[in-house]
Amino acid sequence: MNTIIQNILVVTALVLAVAFLVKKFFWTKKASTKSCGKDDCGCH
Amino acid sequence: MGKQINVALIGNPNTGKTSVFNALTGLNQKVGNYPGITVEKKEGVCKLPRGVKAHIIDLPGTYSLNASSLDENVVIELLLNKNDKDFPDVAVVVSDVENLKRNLLLFTQIKDLEIPTILVINMADRMAYKGISLDIDVLEKELNTKIALVSTRKKTGIDDLKNLITNFRDLPTQPCLNAREIDPDYFTRLQSAFPNQLLYKLWLVITQDVNFGNVSRKEVDALDDFKTKSKSDLKRLQQKETIKRYQFINNTLKKGQTIDLAAAKDLRIKLDRILTHKVWGYVVFFMILLLMFQAIYDWSSIPMDFIDGLFASMSEWTKDHLPQGQFTNLIAEGIIPGLGGIVIFIPQIAFLFLFISILEETGYMSRVVFLMDRIMRRFGLSGKSVVPLISGTACAIPAVMATRNIESWKERLITILVTPFTTCSARLPVYLIIISLVIPKGRFLGLGYQAMTLMLLYLIGFGAAIGAAYILNKVLKIKNRSFFVVEMPNYKLPLFKNVALTVIEKTKSFVFGAGKIILAISIILWFLASYGPGDDFNNAEAIVTSQYSKENLDTETLQQHIASYKLEHSFIGLTGRAIEPLIQPLGYDWKIGIAIVSSFAAREVFVGTLATIYSVGSDEEDTIKNRMAGEVNPILGTPLFNFASGISLLLFYAFAMQCMSTLAVVKRETNSWKWPTLQLAAMSSFAYIVALIAFQVLK
Amino acid sequence: MQVTLAQLKRGQSAIITDVSSIHIPLKLLEMGCLPGNMVELVQVAPFSDPLYLNINGSHLAIRKETATHILIEITNG
Repeated sequence: MNTIIQNILVVTALVLAVAFLVKKFFWTKKASTKSCGKDDCGCH
Repeated sequence: MGKQINVALIGNPNTGKTSVFNALTGLNQKVGNYPGITVEKKEGVCKLPRGVKAHIIDLPGTYSLNASSLDENVVIELLLNKNDKDFPDVAVVVSDVENLKRNLLLFTQIKDLEIPTILVINMADRMAYKGISLDIDVLEKELNTKIALVSTRKKTGIDDLKNLITNFRDLPTQPCLNAREIDPDYFTRLQSAFPNQLLYKLWLVITQDVNFGNVSRKEVDALDDFKTKSKSDLKRLQQKETIKRYQFINNTLKKGQTIDLAAAKDLRIKLDRILTHKVWGYVVFFMILLLMFQAIYDWSSIPMDFIDGLFASMSEWTKDHLPQGQFTNLIAEGIIPGLGGIVIFIPQIAFLFLFISILEETGYMSRVVFLMDRIMRRFGLSGKSVVPLISGTACAIPAVMATRNIESWKERLITILVTPFTTCSARLPVYLIIISLVIPKGRFLGLGYQAMTLMLLYLIGFGAAIGAAYILNKVLKIKNRSFFVVEMPNYKLPLFKNVALTVIEKTKSFVFGAGKIILAISIILWFLASYGPGDDFNNAEAIVTSQYSKENLDTETLQQHIASYKLEHSFIGLTGRAIEPLIQPLGYDWKIGIAIVSSFAAREVFVGTLATIYSVGSDEEDTIKNRMAGEVNPILGTPLFNFASGISLLLFYAFAMQCMSTLAVVKRETNSWKWPTLQLAAMSSFAYIVALIAFQVLK
Repeated sequence: MQVTLAQLKRGQSAIITDVSSIHIPLKLLEMGCLPGNMVELVQVAPFSDPLYLNINGSHLAIRKETATHILIEITNG
């Protein structure tokens, strides 16, 4: 019984960790619309 | 109750705007980002008299509403967009009593947007010292505003300011300058085309590409007709506008300000004679750098040793006291060592930001920019690249963002591309642990070999950055106008509160930002190291027991053999084995290989990863360092971390681009995948080649 | 012959007579680099570039190249 709970907790932690990393590195890559581009674009 | 006033703090850089913000909000502040862009957004809450609350935004410092950088653009976008939830009910313009004339330029611009505006004249404690006297009543009348004379250093005037904010509805909103005066003909035409719009707003929209809420798309297109004036014509009008504004300001100050030059003392001139001197300037700068590295390496070693030991005993305690099972193992072998790998950073990060914020606060950083500009330009950089390169010793992410004030795009791009070469604090734990393993403890001329190696690694980082810049400057074909304007602010004693808040804020965001990633990675690593596919892993016990059945091993040694067999056949062991041929020529085994691979998410994972792997590999409690020292190269039979492989590893980490967050920021700042891809490929292959040569020559 | 800001010597002051606004960033104008204002050369960096100036009470540094686009009339020195 105890082992099962421990294993469930391990898997939960693992899923959370993977989800966090995926979200961190692949989800937030929405391109920003405003940024200094390659040319001077009025930034200087 | 319930009503909250939106207050925007606006001001030139170096006016003590942040001190005013800190004085108003105290610890009730939070730092975030503006959506979509990485400009720092500082907001806080301030309790005003009569139970009113104010929501205060500290906008990025700017010299005018004509934005010349992303940071400054934030200011104008907020002020032009009435629908923004942060649109200020009242604008507080912070000025510095010694530079009132220049500071008032921004004030008149904001006043012309017809937003209720309060003028804060900060650093009032320096008036007598500078021989300045002000007639506040006259100034209030001429500028059509209310003035708070504040000294954040002496803590005076803040209550006056709070009262003024509370009564913001009484503030007059008449503009200072009638835009029509700039060019009557042009502006009359403009106004008749958009009768419902504020003339100055229209003018701002024409001269810079910012949209604002209540001008519909169609009207903005119609505005293009007014851009028929050529760029240089528009600029001439902007110059005329500036002259007009200064005429108004000069007239105002003539009535309201007297300066007794005889009474004025100028510390700046005396200090600058030394600090910007052709020889002494550089000597002082070098001494300061030396002191910085001394602090980071020497002074922080005491708390670091303590933290190292603390986490080792925490692991042990967890194992002894929690019920046995896989989850307990995860905590003791995965999470705690992983967390230890980040907490151990705190002393060094804190020292770094302490120095950087003191250098910024005192005004010394501008002198460094001045001293270094000519030298840096030879390498295609700007004097302003020095600030990113120095902040890069803390973290490349804020450093890349700190390039925004570099006027020339080419110089800025090169700075962004080479900044990740500087030794960031994430490399530091890797360096420290490897140095302590492979470099002898002895001293030469009073300097420890270990400290000298570290200093050398920093120099190699800077050298690589400068060398890469030199090459990029030759290779990149970008036409370039080299503008360079830097203010040389007066020297100030840093305010303890400002420095402390910066150090706390930066350390916190680093630890929590990087900490979450490291925690997640250590959990995954532990899992990959504790489970494996196939019979080899699952029947490890039986296989090893039969293997050693003749040798009569005691149970403890047998357990160790089993554990290491398991690790070798776990998921992570198999991955490591797969890449081993690639890294063997560099002198690494598969365990280091895994640490390197996981380092591509973030370098600081290296120590945590090794901690996790070694902790899984054996059972007795020990600190990471001792365990690493005991590792043996499976092929050569020598200690795994010897001089050759250690140097090779140090050089690999010095040059390789192993930080996903930096790549993401570079992508955002350059608006293209081209540059981060180039960085990743060029830096990492260079690192591999250098490490290869180093190991093959030294072994 | 026209004298530009790049020719000013350390410790000398002058009055700005004209700026070529195409070559000068607006930011510099806004910091007070406008015709009629006083300018003093406070310090020069090695290789006499950049220049540390006091323009109209503002202390700032600009590159020599930029300074060649600012015409002045030397008042003392």
